[in-house]
Amino acid sequence: MTTTTTTTTPFQFPLTYSFPAFFTPQPNTNTRTSQLQKWSSLIQSWCRHHRTYRLSVIEAIESPLFHNATLRKRISLSDARDILDWMARGEEEGGGGRRAEWIDSNNKTVAWIWWRRPEEWAGVLADWVENTGQKNVVLTVYELLEGEATMSQEWHGMDPDVMLKSLNVLAKRGKAQVFGGEGQEGVKFF
Amino acid sequence: MFFKPLDLTTALRPSLLPDETLLFVQDAVGLYEGKYKIPNYQNGHAYLTSHRICYVAVDEPRKYAVGIDLKDIDRAEYQAGFWKSSPKITVYPKPLKNTLDRSKSAGASPSRSQSPFTPTPVPHFNVAPAQPINATWICPICSFSNPVPSNFDPSTATASTPIPPCLACGIKPPFATILKAAITAASSHEGSLTNPAISQPGHEPTPQSDGSKSVSTPQNGAQVSCPRCTFVNHPSLIECEICGASLVSANVLRASNGDHFRAESPAPVFDQGSIKSTQIKDSMKLSFRAGGEKIFHERLKGALIQRKWLLYNAPPVPQQPSQSSPNSPGLAVPTPTNGSVAPPSRSPGVGIAGLERRGLEARKNNELVIGNAFEDLEALMASAKQIVALAETLGRESGMTSDESSAETSAVLSESVAALGMVTTKDMLGSGAESLYLSELSRTLAEYLTDDRKGILQREGGIISLIDLWAIFNRSRNGVELVSPSDFQKAAELWEKLKLPVRLRRFKSGLLVVQRYDWTDEKTLRQLIDWMVELRQVPPTEPVAWDWRLFGRAVTAQEAAQRFKWSVGVAAEELEMAEDKGILCREQGIEGLRFWFNYITSNPDAQGGDDLGLSRISIEDSSI
Repeated sequence: MTTTTTTTTPFQFPLTYSFPAFFTPQPNTNTRTSQLQKWSSLIQSWCRHHRTYRLSVIEAIESPLFHNATLRKRISLSDARDILDWMARGEEEGGGGRRAEWIDSNNKTVAWIWWRRPEEWAGVLADWVENTGQKNVVLTVYELLEGEATMSQEWHGMDPDVMLKSLNVLAKRGKAQVFGGEGQEGVKFF
Repeated sequence: MFFKPLDLTTALRPSLLPDETLLFVQDAVGLYEGKYKIPNYQNGHAYLTSHRICYVAVDEPRKYAVGIDLKDIDRAEYQAGFWKSSPKITVYPKPLKNTLDRSKSAGASPSRSQSPFTPTPVPHFNVAPAQPINATWICPICSFSNPVPSNFDPSTATASTPIPPCLACGIKPPFATILKAAITAASSHEGSLTNPAISQPGHEPTPQSDGSKSVSTPQNGAQVSCPRCTFVNHPSLIECEICGASLVSANVLRASNGDHFRAESPAPVFDQGSIKSTQIKDSMKLSFRAGGEKIFHERLKGALIQRKWLLYNAPPVPQQPSQSSPNSPGLAVPTPTNGSVAPPSRSPGVGIAGLERRGLEARKNNELVIGNAFEDLEALMASAKQIVALAETLGRESGMTSDESSAETSAVLSESVAALGMVTTKDMLGSGAESLYLSELSRTLAEYLTDDRKGILQREGGIISLIDLWAIFNRSRNGVELVSPSDFQKAAELWEKLKLPVRLRRFKSGLLVVQRYDWTDEKTLRQLIDWMVELRQVPPTEPVAWDWRLFGRAVTAQEAAQRFKWSVGVAAEELEMAEDKGILCREQGIEGLRFWFNYITSNPDAQGGDDLGLSRISIEDSSI
């Protein structure tokens, strides 16, 4: 399920990534919080770099993200789930500000990684509509995602589900209207 | 007999002389001089040793601690408790032999009174008696005639010599006044030396520590009021003119009690508030408010009979049986083996024959010593010192032959038990006094730990687990009077209450350790941080996958134990403590648990190079 766009430049890992103790869950609360924050930002930037929206935990623990081959250190599946759990919680609950969301909350195998949350995507889209003067224009979701006009935009090639979530946010704000059926969605911006 | 000042150990117990052993300890004891209670000495520990009776008050033990030598004691009487009166033991001093002896002991004490807080455990009869000078100087302000201080020597005094102020008006006299008074007194004194009147018995009832005072008091015209009928008697009288009561104790009371004494004391350097160096004239009483008097009395009697203080000057072991003269003191028994053992013409031994002969002679000598010792009880007591020395050397030799390392340990052990000296055992203490036993054990432990000769704590890097200490301590007792673990722990828990220089500390995991009271987590953390900084500068022995200049290296509890000489358990606890404080973080791997400097909280991404990193660490140090 991982959507990976191959990019030319390799991902630049932070220095902490080569710190062996980074891969062991820390018992000290302060250190643990710090550790989780760093993991959260690492996962987010990793996903942004690879244009990943849904992260399969089982695949990820074999990927360089959770497995440092040089150090021969890895994050175990349960530890990875703990990190994503923490990311999924809001800051007010002592979490990482809802930067992740389990897609299957029962099995906890795949999660949305919100390196941009739907609300933020909605803002980006609204700005784009504003700047390109496309208010009151009807666009299909496919156009938005794969169309030539959006080639330069960040969301190009985005997961359609994420796009729909973002458009729904705009619709709630009264700035767009989503219509059409499954796979045939269209959107009109106001 | 004098109240002598005491040296206290770190654990606030009397420090013992060489060869002195502790016989008994009892708490809640009060001191009486004659019939009168001595203020500040009413609640304390009485320590009976083979040489002394020591008293240490519970409050301000450094200030109120005195001892009396058993050799000055004539006899001790037991007095049972009645109604509200606690049982008491009365101690009578030996009568002074003659006036010469008396002036000697009186003369010796001024030298002691000059430094009442730095007493030497040397018997004081060797001190050359300084002739007391009873001089007076007239205050130029108020014309009060003051005594010249006893430590004032006109031949050595300079203008910088401290001069006590006038006792009446409190104004310091000019130096010349005192010097003049002292010189005239000295010259007139020399003239009167031949005059026996100065040592007439009438002057005796002023038993001051201070020589000049004892003689100058009658000159001041101070009169003695009878304690029974209050008739004011002439100072020369020993008994009351009216009722015949003894005036001696009245004088003693004045001496040891309060303002009257203070006003008349000519020696301002002497601590007048304490009874140190004060002579006991009549008798001294120990009041046992919490029992224990019977055992105390029994052991005191025993100690008085044994007279162990004589051993202090016991003659050494005769080296050659052939040379042991029949008049060797202590060995009162004639030596029957004398003739058969050594030929009178002893050729110097050469080679193996010589060695063998020397061995034979040594054996004969030992035989003689042992034979003499068991001859009778008197001789045994006299030779006790030699027997102990012999047993010790035998023990050491037998250990030496078996194994090198174990010999070393056993030697250390036997030495440490000898050095331990003051072991408190349960039978030394008053009946049913569990708390006293614990507090004494606690003090013993504190002394054992802080003794620099053994350096238990230093060897263990300043921290030792309670279990290890328990094992070491019991081993040093050589299998006698072992301490039970629960008593041991209770005693260790008392350290804080008794304000002793060691502390018991409980780690998070429940591990109990012993450390110095001034040892803190901050010191440990600083050590660990220094180590971590050091690891960033030393390249690792094997190539590592990470940047060691940035992260250094991980350490295990074993490495920390080795480096700081801790035990592994303690090291693990200390590392976890540092982790708790956020200084270290852990790495759990297949190699086991290892600890890193905490680069998770302190972001290494932010730092440009080593300098920045170090300065950041030092900033963290200051924030600890």
